[in-house]
Amino acid sequence: MSVQEAPSQHRTRDTLENVLVVDTDVHINDTPQALMPYCDMPWQKSLEVLSNVPQRTLDIPAFSAGLGSLCAPFPGGPEGRRVHTPQQLREELSAISVDIAVLFPDQLLKIATLPQKDYAAALARAYNRWIVDQWCLKEKGLLGCIIAAPQDPEAAAREIEKYAKEPGIVGIYLPCAGVEPLWGHRVYNPIFEAAEAANLPVLLHSVTVIHPVFPWQTHQFDTELARHTLAHTFSMSANLVDMITTGVPVRYPNLRIAFTEAGLSWVPFIMNRLDKEYIERRREVPFLTERPSHYIKKFFFATQPIEEPEDPRDLVKIVELFDGENQVIFASDWPHHDFDHPLKLFQAPFSPEAKRKMLGENALRLFNIDRNGNRLNL
Amino acid sequence: MSQETIAQETTSQTTASPESPSSNQGSGNQVSGKKEDVVARLSEFPPGTHRVVKAGRREIGVFNVDGNFYALPNLCTHQLGPLCKGKVSGTIVCSKETEWKLQWGFENEIVTCPWHGMEYHIPTGTCLAFPEIRLRSYEVWVENEEVKVRL
Repeated sequence: MSVQEAPSQHRTRDTLENVLVVDTDVHINDTPQALMPYCDMPWQKSLEVLSNVPQRTLDIPAFSAGLGSLCAPFPGGPEGRRVHTPQQLREELSAISVDIAVLFPDQLLKIATLPQKDYAAALARAYNRWIVDQWCLKEKGLLGCIIAAPQDPEAAAREIEKYAKEPGIVGIYLPCAGVEPLWGHRVYNPIFEAAEAANLPVLLHSVTVIHPVFPWQTHQFDTELARHTLAHTFSMSANLVDMITTGVPVRYPNLRIAFTEAGLSWVPFIMNRLDKEYIERRREVPFLTERPSHYIKKFFFATQPIEEPEDPRDLVKIVELFDGENQVIFASDWPHHDFDHPLKLFQAPFSPEAKRKMLGENALRLFNIDRNGNRLNL
Repeated sequence: MSQETIAQETTSQTTASPESPSSNQGSGNQVSGKKEDVVARLSEFPPGTHRVVKAGRREIGVFNVDGNFYALPNLCTHQLGPLCKGKVSGTIVCSKETEWKLQWGFENEIVTCPWHGMEYHIPTGTCLAFPEIRLRSYEVWVENEEVKVRL
């Protein structure tokens, strides 16, 4: 890709308004009250207990009072933004030029930390019913990912089969915060098999937690700045390394895999470390027929929170380092504190073609949808 | 590289063996401008062994793999380590054909560089980590109970 836009007399100049923007990471307010009617017994009775918890204390995860954050609130900080209705979300996304958005949970970002297998599986089922019933396609361009609770892979696989032909469902969210074992483990084979069979991509998404499993022992850091610098990138790195070294992309060659909310600069780093180790220890990964970067370059990577280097050309170089022009997908993370406006990507010195791909067209390929958000694999 | 790919390449490779010496060999020390050297007496070079010989200014690894002789440069493409001084063994294979189970394969056909562990398939010279890398091979044959190599 060229570093600078070539001036053209003959072509209409792209603006954010006339370029398709697919936002691959948006969060909706999945409160216990909202999910309660959709939840199986007896866990509906647990959500009933939580149903009067005030919104201001609904930090992630609202679904288990015993797992709250141990850290001080940001001094003087505002309450977080939340999205309560499809109408509200549509208006807010239109204001930042987003055409199509893929919804993720908010509170249930930490579902993988819940120790009770049946509770986690029931919450995932409730959430999946809820988004199909209340959110997906309720406004133009709103699509969803179902949750695959890692605690019960067989139950998650059944959920994938259930929603395989659901027009509003375009992907499978793999929760990463606190997940154990990591996502390359063979216990998750049923999830990958079902996802590949359903022709639905899997999207790994993390969130900052303090939790006793690798790489979540972030209590050692004194600030959220430190934790947040590493939490997402460490989680994505750990899961990517695990998936490569257990051969997930080889065993499921048609499975589309995306890594979200860790920015982009970790990708060339982890890719080069893996390629280096591969030279000496190929025998441990005999199922790989190419160096690790070969497979990594086929993964998708969401931009948010996008790097903002002092020299904006550095962002172009970062993407070039992993041939990312066809694999990078825009994400805003709306309505979270660190959301990115698509202008951040649009104004970076990529070629017009690269911008169009990264802002929208690559995501159409990932989700197998057309420019109106219609699934092409039904 | 998959087990199948290597196996196919192995069969298409012309290899010299004690039973069927290559037909294009000469008896003199100088053939087509290329020098030939005696590596060892056949009786001193049993199957499953390999050695590094100096031939002119080059170092060449000569391998007896189950009675078939192969010769490769003693130079790893990674960081120029003394490849052929490394251990010869099999290696771990795993693919759809093995139902993704780890298995031991290529017994006696893999040489591992003693420096950083890069593996090469001796009969084809193919690097296992990077199949696009293939070492040159030298002509090696048995004549009058002697193992000979041509540079």
